Amino acid sequence: MPVVPEPVAPVTAVAAPAAAPVAAIDDFVVDDDTELVVVQSDSELANLFIAEALDHLGTIEAKLLELDERPEDTSLLNDIFRPFHTVKGNASALGIVSVERVAHKVENLLDLARSGRIPMGETEVDLVLRAVDVLSLMINDVGQRLAGQPRKATGAEAVSLVQQVEQLITGQLEGESAAAPAIEMAEPVAPMAPMASEPAEDAAPAPAPAGDEAAFEQDRRGPTPSRRRDDVPALAGTATAIKVDTRKLDNIVDVVGELIVVQSLIQQDPALSSLVDGRLARNMAQLRRLTADLQRNSMALRMVPIRQAFQKVARVVRDISRKAGKPVDLIITGEDTELDRKMVEEITDPLMHMARNSVDHGIEAPDVREANGKPARATVSLSAYYQGSHVIIEVRDDGAGLNTDRILESARRKGLIAADVNPAPEDIHRLIFEAGFSTAAKVTEVSGRGVGMDVVRRNIESLRGRVDIRTERNKGTAFLVRLPLTLAVLDGLLVRVGSERCVLPAAAVRESLRPKPEHVHFVQGQPRMVQVRESVLPLVSLGSVLGMGATALDPTAATVVVVEEGGSRIGLVVEELLHKQEVVVKSLGDSFASVRGVAGGAILGDGRIGLILDPHGIVAMVREGSRRAA
Amino acid sequence: MSTHGTTGRFRREELVGKYLTFALGNEEYSVPVLKVREIIKIMDITAVPQVPAYVKGVVNLRGKVIPVVDLRLKFGFPAQDYTERTCIIVVEVALATGARMMSIIVDHVSEVLNVTAEEIEQTPQFGDEIQTDYMKGIAKVRGHVKILLDLDRVLGVDGTIAMPQPTAA
Repeated sequence: MPVVPEPVAPVTAVAAPAAAPVAAIDDFVVDDDTELVVVQSDSELANLFIAEALDHLGTIEAKLLELDERPEDTSLLNDIFRPFHTVKGNASALGIVSVERVAHKVENLLDLARSGRIPMGETEVDLVLRAVDVLSLMINDVGQRLAGQPRKATGAEAVSLVQQVEQLITGQLEGESAAAPAIEMAEPVAPMAPMASEPAEDAAPAPAPAGDEAAFEQDRRGPTPSRRRDDVPALAGTATAIKVDTRKLDNIVDVVGELIVVQSLIQQDPALSSLVDGRLARNMAQLRRLTADLQRNSMALRMVPIRQAFQKVARVVRDISRKAGKPVDLIITGEDTELDRKMVEEITDPLMHMARNSVDHGIEAPDVREANGKPARATVSLSAYYQGSHVIIEVRDDGAGLNTDRILESARRKGLIAADVNPAPEDIHRLIFEAGFSTAAKVTEVSGRGVGMDVVRRNIESLRGRVDIRTERNKGTAFLVRLPLTLAVLDGLLVRVGSERCVLPAAAVRESLRPKPEHVHFVQGQPRMVQVRESVLPLVSLGSVLGMGATALDPTAATVVVVEEGGSRIGLVVEELLHKQEVVVKSLGDSFASVRGVAGGAILGDGRIGLILDPHGIVAMVREGSRRAA
Repeated sequence: MSTHGTTGRFRREELVGKYLTFALGNEEYSVPVLKVREIIKIMDITAVPQVPAYVKGVVNLRGKVIPVVDLRLKFGFPAQDYTERTCIIVVEVALATGARMMSIIVDHVSEVLNVTAEEIEQTPQFGDEIQTDYMKGIAKVRGHVKILLDLDRVLGVDGTIAMPQPTAA
């Protein structure tokens, strides 16, 4: 047997020293990629395995968190065991030995818990959660390795995990045999006694609890189809699903978008509209309804429930509340709210960060809470709901609330706010989204380093969303994230720039106006500033900023669109403001990656492409331009 | 003359096949038919700012956004108003970042030609004034010279639109 590291915590009553650990690194590191032979030959199969396994692990994680809340609900154990068993079985069928071995050990633990031999307490849940992490890493790594990336060193982690599982099992069963030396004869398994008295014997490759191994083998020997059917009830509640390449979905969306354009072109065709025919009119109306329906449905193809993001947040809340010693009840609502798949992926990190902040900063220590007349257990709620064409996601805690005075003091010290300025409380609260800002009294492992909340805001803004804070002293804080349902559709404002029509994202447009001559201020003979009520804004011609023909426009004869981005407002002079329109966003492709101020293209009602402008880029270009000029 | 050997970067056999020929001024160019996805009449093009003049912008091809390069300008011909015969040829090019649909504006499309090994000749060396990178070779068909274009090179080395202008033409 190869030399192995000492176990982290020696198992009690182990006589033989070095032989004790059952897991050897060699068992969990398959040096070459021989274990990938099967999946290498069939990449589709491999991707299916990876996607499915990660799905299952996600389910397991969710159920573990539930189990943590309701340890008495033993049906949850079955819900955890079943997908675990499937992951292991699939890994084994595909010959991915390293994954199979780790999964197998944890499965043993779960099986013991299922049969009531091991209580599933906090430690056990923690361990299985870690196993989910390790397995996710290993399975993701399989994908990376198939793509030709070097293997990540997950072996050591796997080994330490397996050792802990084994110690746990051994420890628990020892206790069991001590308390009830007589093992129920009904169980047709090898007696636990030898194992319990001489765990060292288990050094042989034979897995620790031989009895359960047998039980498990039996389980596996059972007719395979029945196991498959076993999985079905779990799915019955949810809608059935298939996995589809997103490019195929995008193609459908492209074609449907074009169908809408053609349909409206036909509808508006003078030759057709001159006909007076009831039947034709009815059929055209029907066609319009159907195409609109088709578009809605094709857009819906990309939508997924926000559940997976919430689940990750739930995990973070659990981990941090443990680490910080602050008991927290997490209440989740609206996890079925659907939004664009990409949005769900992108919003996960910001949500996790906000939740981390809530638990770490927002919620007080239990004794402080009690002293303030609040229940020692804090509540964090996570909810999602629709509001018009947007989704609102709330992360709410019943903690101390933001300390307005401390934020202001800190901002003054950092020079973010002048000493003689007294901003409104809401403006002070928004300061926590500034880069390099932190009010944490102590820097903890998870937060307080002044990075984070600014990144959160930036990420949300890049999803064309915004984040607001509601906070009340001693009552709690809520972060409200407002996101569009999808990045594929944009609420746009059509403007004319030279001979082209461009789309400005409506979210960035504050107002539009035709300034009076006395409100336009000239610098060096050029209209450079516009007064909008009490504030004076920089004024630039949109065409000349972008480089689309620098015709000097008279702002008093054209339209000024006030755009706000990242807190600064500018006035853009455009020829004409056309109308509001919802457009489908298309990428211009990497050919135009270097073009600034343009975010993509939209197919307009007449089939032509209108450029979608990027307010962020435009504001940056204006700033640079004025800096160059200065 | 041997029918084997190379014409610069390409083996003669590689260049044999069907070509779509088109005109730019009085010159005849050709691209492999297999690269051509579609030929459409000149249509409204949406201009994109901050790109070289030969990049006319983007068009909508059944819901896809396709960049358009005016080959006249790209090759340094004087600009000319588009006519009834002006065409947009949609091609698939292989760029460093993968296959991509792009399109070129040409004066008019002529014919599809079967080029045999005997008709293919090496790209002559013109000296410094003319860049021959964009040519795979030339074909002499029925007394006319057709230039075999290397579209992957013409339409951008790294898939970026900002390409150096040909030094002269």
